[in-house]
Amino acid sequence: MNGSVIAQLVVSGSLMGLVYALIAYGFQLTYATSKSINFGQGELVMVSAFICLTMTNLGISYWFMVPLGLMCGALLGLFVERAGVRLALEQKNEGWILLTIIIGLFFFSAAENIWGRDDRPFPTPISSEALQVAGIRITPLELSVALGVFAIMGIIELFKRKTLLGKAFEAVAADRDAAELMGISATKTIMLSYSLSGVVAAVAGLLVSPITTVGPTMASALVLKAFSVAVVAGLDSGFGVVLIGLFLGSLESLTSYYVGSGWREAPGLILLILALAVRPTGVFGKIPIKKV
Amino acid sequence: MRTSLIMPLLLLLIVSPVFGADVVKIAVTGPFSGGSAPMGASMRDGAKLAIAEINASGGIKVGARMMKIEIIERDDEAKNERGALIAQELASMPDLSGVIGSVNTGVVLAGDKHFQEKGITKIITPAAGSASMTQWSKAGVKDLSIFRFAAHDGIQSAMVVEEAINRKYTKVLLLHDSTNYGVSGRDDLLYQIKKQGNKLFVVATEKFNIGDKDMTAQLLRGKNAGAQAVLIWGIGPELAAVANGMAKIGMKAPLIGGWTLSMSNFIDNAGKNGNGTLMPQTFIEEPITLKAKSFIEGYRKAYKVSRIPSPVSAAQGYDAVYIFAAAVKQAQSTNTKNIKEALEDLKEPVKGVIAIWQKPFTKWNPANEDSHEAFRRDQVVMGMVKDGHVVFANEADRKRFIQNATTVKGKK
Repeated sequence: MNGSVIAQLVVSGSLMGLVYALIAYGFQLTYATSKSINFGQGELVMVSAFICLTMTNLGISYWFMVPLGLMCGALLGLFVERAGVRLALEQKNEGWILLTIIIGLFFFSAAENIWGRDDRPFPTPISSEALQVAGIRITPLELSVALGVFAIMGIIELFKRKTLLGKAFEAVAADRDAAELMGISATKTIMLSYSLSGVVAAVAGLLVSPITTVGPTMASALVLKAFSVAVVAGLDSGFGVVLIGLFLGSLESLTSYYVGSGWREAPGLILLILALAVRPTGVFGKIPIKKV
Repeated sequence: MRTSLIMPLLLLLIVSPVFGADVVKIAVTGPFSGGSAPMGASMRDGAKLAIAEINASGGIKVGARMMKIEIIERDDEAKNERGALIAQELASMPDLSGVIGSVNTGVVLAGDKHFQEKGITKIITPAAGSASMTQWSKAGVKDLSIFRFAAHDGIQSAMVVEEAINRKYTKVLLLHDSTNYGVSGRDDLLYQIKKQGNKLFVVATEKFNIGDKDMTAQLLRGKNAGAQAVLIWGIGPELAAVANGMAKIGMKAPLIGGWTLSMSNFIDNAGKNGNGTLMPQTFIEEPITLKAKSFIEGYRKAYKVSRIPSPVSAAQGYDAVYIFAAAVKQAQSTNTKNIKEALEDLKEPVKGVIAIWQKPFTKWNPANEDSHEAFRRDQVVMGMVKDGHVVFANEADRKRFIQNATTVKGKK
């Protein structure tokens, strides 16, 4: 085995893994506060990417477009929360599963009708010329994906730990009823978590678009992997999602090289089955304490 | 008052079937959206250009009447199951004269049996996968209503292997996608390497899926084994991911592969990483003849583009319509079975933008698919990507193409 080959494979694979992790992190954010996830998260990624592309085509500069794109992501997240999740949660039923899927499908067909079904290149000021770092070749574009993923997750984690609003977030995540008794509005906190989840989707869209191109199906493969990551890691820990994402990405890449490119998808699926069979709460998931 | 209303209505009922009979209905099918769309939409638009020209000149003379061509468009989205549904729908239309289209070999395999069953004449263009025609020879079908108007993968893979040998490469990486097209392309390439004397050593055979973006693992296997060229069979977006992946890991080897390497979504997404890529082409977007010039200008003007998304598909769609129209004229009928017989024995040469077509097809012979294949090696050249356009890879080929398109000669 050749060290530099392995290093190259691990680096390239983990970059894809970070993208899976970022989408899975969007699930984790809403799950923490409301025990619900947006099954249309992939479509949020896609719609935000299309909105950003449209803004760029209108002549808005990249760095000005980024905050606008994130804002659109937040609004889309709020829309999903209001239209698909809130009432179902109030009635304590599982209607949000179906509703978020339906909203996702709606976004998908809307995008097909508004922007067409073609894959389009996404302009970016970041270079895709490869750099050589310690025998490993990597493009600034890929580095920007890694930096972007860590930056947005770092900011959100800091926000949760250091600000009053973030503490409210954590409180609702820990115990919704107790938090409400302390005067924290669970509804508002869940709104916040959905808008953050939307921002995360927009960041994912911005980061991966230059690599994947923008099209209605751009996130469908990614979101399936993100589900695997979320299930294997468990939905209680943002940190765990990143670790499992990195692990899965590099495992895919290594399998593809050493076993054969036809087996690329196999490790992810095996991990998923193992996780569900052996540890359904996920590797980093908390085992719920049963009150007797 | 009442009668004055009923009479025109009755008249309309009697007259309308006559109106209906004054058109030749041709269905054009293909993916007009998604990853294969540059090929499907260009083919459709090329065909529509030809139809508009024919209709503007009055139509096709059948008996004493001038028949206009009516087009029925169906988007199969490159999905096999949609292709099958569309084929079923079209095959049950009683007055359909024929079908032109299909880009994806999988769609052809899923749908064409419905046309063959009902004896509907179909000209496949631009789908190139070998299986589209070999499925009929293998089944030993005696009478076939399916024709192909595209440089099939047999010709293309032979040219790709030949090109690699001519360039003195000895080690190649073989890459293909996991669709019917990619897998049958891989088999064709391996067969050709063997047939042309095993001069190429395949260091690795690797595949990728539609939608894959990270090709590092597959490419590293080739790079580390010292591959000098990458022989590849896939479609635009993934081909671009391969070209960009090669640039990233610093692998300097040319991509040589199927004609799909001329798709705009490969050229655009690969950017300068696509330069030097080689692929067989039946048409190069250069005004080498008057006919080519008016076709290119006509296309760009009609569809408001500065470059045809897939010139090969557009030119093939255009010529296929003219060949079909010639068959209608010769058959003096809009009946699809009569048109099939005329296609198998076209008396008059058809002046197309690719070449002057003389007897492109002959009576179907299950022992030789070439009887329903229009293209020979002679009508195909190597194209090369250069700064966002496909140009002639060898200047000598330009002369051959001008000759094909301007002089009448016997078909080899």
